[in-house]
Amino acid sequence: MSEPVSTCRREELKRDTEFRQVLMHLRRNRGAMVGLIVLAVFLICAVFAPLLAPYDPTDSNLGRALEKPSAEHILGTDELGRDSFSRILFGSRISLAIGLISVSIGLVVGVPLGALSGFYGGKFDLFMQRLIDILIAFPGILLAIVVVTILGVGVENVMIAVGVASIPIYTRLVRGSVLSVKEEGYVAAARALGIGNTRIIIRHILPNCLGPIIVQSTFQIATAILWAAGLGFLGLGAQPPNPEWGAMLSKGREYIRVAHHLTTYPGLAILLMVLGFNLVGDGLRDALDPKFRKSR
Amino acid sequence: MRKSLLVLLVLAMMVSVFAYGCAPEPDPDPYDVDNGEPVDVDPDNQDLVIAIGAEPENLDPLKMMSAPAATIAEHMVENLIYLDVDGALQPALAESWEPAEDGMSWILQLREGVQFHDGTPFNAEAVKYNLDRFMGVDDPDNAAVFAFLLGEVSDVEVVDEYTVQINLNNIFAPIASHLSHSFIGMHSPASLEALDAGEFVEAPVGTGPFKYASWDRGNQIVMERNEDYWGDVPMLNSVTFKFVPEAGSRVIMLETGEAHAIMAVPPTDIDRLDAEADIDVVHQTSVRVIYMGFNLEREIFQDARVRQALNHAVDKDALINTIFSGVGEPSSAPIVPAIFGYTQTGPYEYDPDKARELLADAGYPDGFEMELFHPTGRYPQDATVTEAVQAMLQDVGIDASLTTYDWGTYLDTVIVPPDEAEHDIYMLGWGTVTLDADYGLYALFHSTQWPPRNNVSYYANDEVDALLDEARVTPDRDVREDLYRQAIEIIWDDAPWLFLYDEGQVNGERSNVKGLIHHPLENVSAWNAWIE
Repeated sequence: MSEPVSTCRREELKRDTEFRQVLMHLRRNRGAMVGLIVLAVFLICAVFAPLLAPYDPTDSNLGRALEKPSAEHILGTDELGRDSFSRILFGSRISLAIGLISVSIGLVVGVPLGALSGFYGGKFDLFMQRLIDILIAFPGILLAIVVVTILGVGVENVMIAVGVASIPIYTRLVRGSVLSVKEEGYVAAARALGIGNTRIIIRHILPNCLGPIIVQSTFQIATAILWAAGLGFLGLGAQPPNPEWGAMLSKGREYIRVAHHLTTYPGLAILLMVLGFNLVGDGLRDALDPKFRKSR
Repeated sequence: MRKSLLVLLVLAMMVSVFAYGCAPEPDPDPYDVDNGEPVDVDPDNQDLVIAIGAEPENLDPLKMMSAPAATIAEHMVENLIYLDVDGALQPALAESWEPAEDGMSWILQLREGVQFHDGTPFNAEAVKYNLDRFMGVDDPDNAAVFAFLLGEVSDVEVVDEYTVQINLNNIFAPIASHLSHSFIGMHSPASLEALDAGEFVEAPVGTGPFKYASWDRGNQIVMERNEDYWGDVPMLNSVTFKFVPEAGSRVIMLETGEAHAIMAVPPTDIDRLDAEADIDVVHQTSVRVIYMGFNLEREIFQDARVRQALNHAVDKDALINTIFSGVGEPSSAPIVPAIFGYTQTGPYEYDPDKARELLADAGYPDGFEMELFHPTGRYPQDATVTEAVQAMLQDVGIDASLTTYDWGTYLDTVIVPPDEAEHDIYMLGWGTVTLDADYGLYALFHSTQWPPRNNVSYYANDEVDALLDEARVTPDRDVREDLYRQAIEIIWDDAPWLFLYDEGQVNGERSNVKGLIHHPLENVSAWNAWIE
C-alpha cells in the first residue's frame, strides 16, 4: 500500500525538479511569453487558414488590383487583385512547414552524426569534422542556394536545402556537448556496469545534451524561415501562385511606391514569426540552464 | 523694347561670327542633327547611361536573337541600309540600292572612305565577307540563326571596290528592308577572321559612331565615341547600357540620375514619373506582339480545339487595362496592324465557358497540367502577365506550373529541337522589324524555321508554307497582301499560339537628355543625343 504512493511521489518530485521548473522560469520570462503568444497566433492562423481566410489566396481579380486596405480587403490586394490578408494567412502555413520540416531534417541527420563523432572520436571524428568544416565554410544561405540549384526550385526542395544547410550546425553542437558529457561520472559508471555503447549514447548521453539542442532548434527554425523567405525572394522558393512571404515581398517591391502594403505586411509577418521563435528560444535557454536558474 | 532687341540681335550676330571664326575646322561646335541648331553642352559631362531589362545573349550576327542585342550592336556596327524612326529606308553604308530590270539582282553603291574601328577599309569585299558569313556560304552548319533574312540570295558579287551585286534565286520583294535588319551589321573582316573556330564576336568592330570599350557580363556594356566616324561625330563621350531586369530598380535609377534613360517604365509608375519636372515619359508605338506558343509536339496541344480553348480562356483586355494601365492592344493577328500584310482576324473573344466546352469536346473536361516557361524582365511586366494568365487558365481547369530563367538561359532552354523541349508552352515576343509580313510570318510559322530558328512552336502547315513561299517571291504588292491575308487566317484558326497582345512602348528619360531616338523597333539610339 505504501509503495505505490512513494513511487508516485518520487515521480512527482522528479517532474517538479525538471519540467515544472523549466516551465515556471519560462512563465516568469515576459519576453518568452510574448513570443509564445505570437507563435500560438501564427499556429492557429496556419492550421485554420482555410476557415479564417476571407478569400481564396490564389483567386485573382484583375479589376481590383493594387487596392489599398479597406473593409472588404483588410490588407488590400496585390498586383493581380488577390487578397493580401488571405495570402499572408496561407503563407504562414508554408513558412511554419518549412521551418519545422527543415529543422527536423537537420536534427535527424545532424544529431546522430554529432553524437557518434563525439562519442567515438578517432579517425571517424576527424573525417566527420573536416567534412563539417567544409560545409560550415559556406554561409548557410549560400549552401541552401547551391542545394536548390541542384534539386530545382519548389517548396519541398527548399525544405531539403535549408535542412541540409542546418546539418553542420547540429553536428557541431551535439559533438561538443557529447565530448563534455561523456567524461561525466555516470557515464563511466554505466560503462562499468557493462552497458553497451548504443544504450549509453541513447539513454545517458543524449538526454543530457537535450537542453542545447532544444534551444538551438528554436533559433534554427527562425533562421530556416528567414532563409526560406530569402530563397523565395530570389525566386528559388515556392513558385507562383503559392503565397510564400519572401516571394510576396519580392513581387511587391515593384509596387512599393504605389502600394506599400504589398511589402509592409508580408515583411511584418516574417519579422513577427522570427521574433517569436527567437524570444521563445531566449527564454528556453535561460530556463534550461541550471546555473542561470540559480542565479535568479 | 525694340532697341534692346536690336542690341541683342547684333550681339548674337557678333557672337556667332566670332564663334564661327574661332571654331577649328575639323571639330565644329556641337549641333542638333535634327535641325542644325547649335546646342550648349559641357564636353566633360557627356557620358550617357541607359538602363534596359535584358542583356544581349550575344553580339555576333550569327547568334543575335533579340532587340536588346540589336539596340546595343547598332551603336557600334552599321548596316548597309537603315530603317529610320518613320519607317523609311535611309542610306547607311550603302548610298543607293537598285534592282536590275528583271528583279533578279540588286546593285548596291557603297559609301566611300569609311573605315572600321580597327582601320580596315570598308569596301565591297567586306560586304561580301559579312553577307557570306551570315548566309553560311562556306560553312552551312554555321549560318546565322536569322539566315532566312537572305534566304532568297544566291550569291554576292564584288563588281568593283565600292559596288556590290546581290543575286537572287527568285524575285524577293523585301530584300532592302531585310538588309536594314540590325543583325546584318557590317563587321571588320579582319576582326571576324581573328576569331577561333567556335568562337563568336564579343567585342564588335564595326564602322559605327561608337566603339566597343568593355562588357561586364551581367552588369553593363560601355562604348566610346568614334572620333573618326564618317558621319556626324557623336557629342556623347560614351554610352553605357546597364542590364537591370527589375523594372522598379530601373525607375529608381532614373529618378536618382544613375541612369539618364530607361526602357519599359512599369505602368504603375507612368503617372508619377510624368508629374516629375526633370523626367520625361516617352510613349512610342511598337511592332512587337507578345504571345505564348504551344509546344505542338505535345499530345495535349495536337488538338486545335485545346489551343483555341486556351485562347478563349485568357482575358486580354483585362491584362492590358490592369497590368499595362491601358497601353497596348489585344492581338488581332500574329503581326501588328502597322506591318505590311496585316489582316484583322481577331482577337479571340474572352469566353471561359466556351473554353471549358472546347476542352470537354477535346477530351479534357477536367483540364490538364502543363509546364509554362517565361522570361522575367525581358518584356514589360512579363512575369506578372504570366501569373495572371496562370490564374485565368486555372479558371478553366488548366493547372500551369511556371518556370523562369534569365534571358540568355531562357532562350537556350526554349529554342531547342522538340526532343529536348521541357516546356509545354512558352512566352516570347516578336517585333516585325522590317515592317513586312514576310519577316513576321515566315520566320515564325514556316516549317523550315524550326529551332534553332524561330518557329519555336514546331508549327507545320503545308498550305501556310506554300502561301508564305509564294508571297516571298511575288513582286505585286496587292497579290502579296492577299497571300498574307490567307496565311494569317489559317494561322489564326490553327492557333499555334495563345495570342496575347501588341505591345506599346513606354520609356523614360531625364529632361536634360536631348536627341535620344526611341524607335518603334524597340531600340533606343544615342548617336545624336547629348546631355544639357
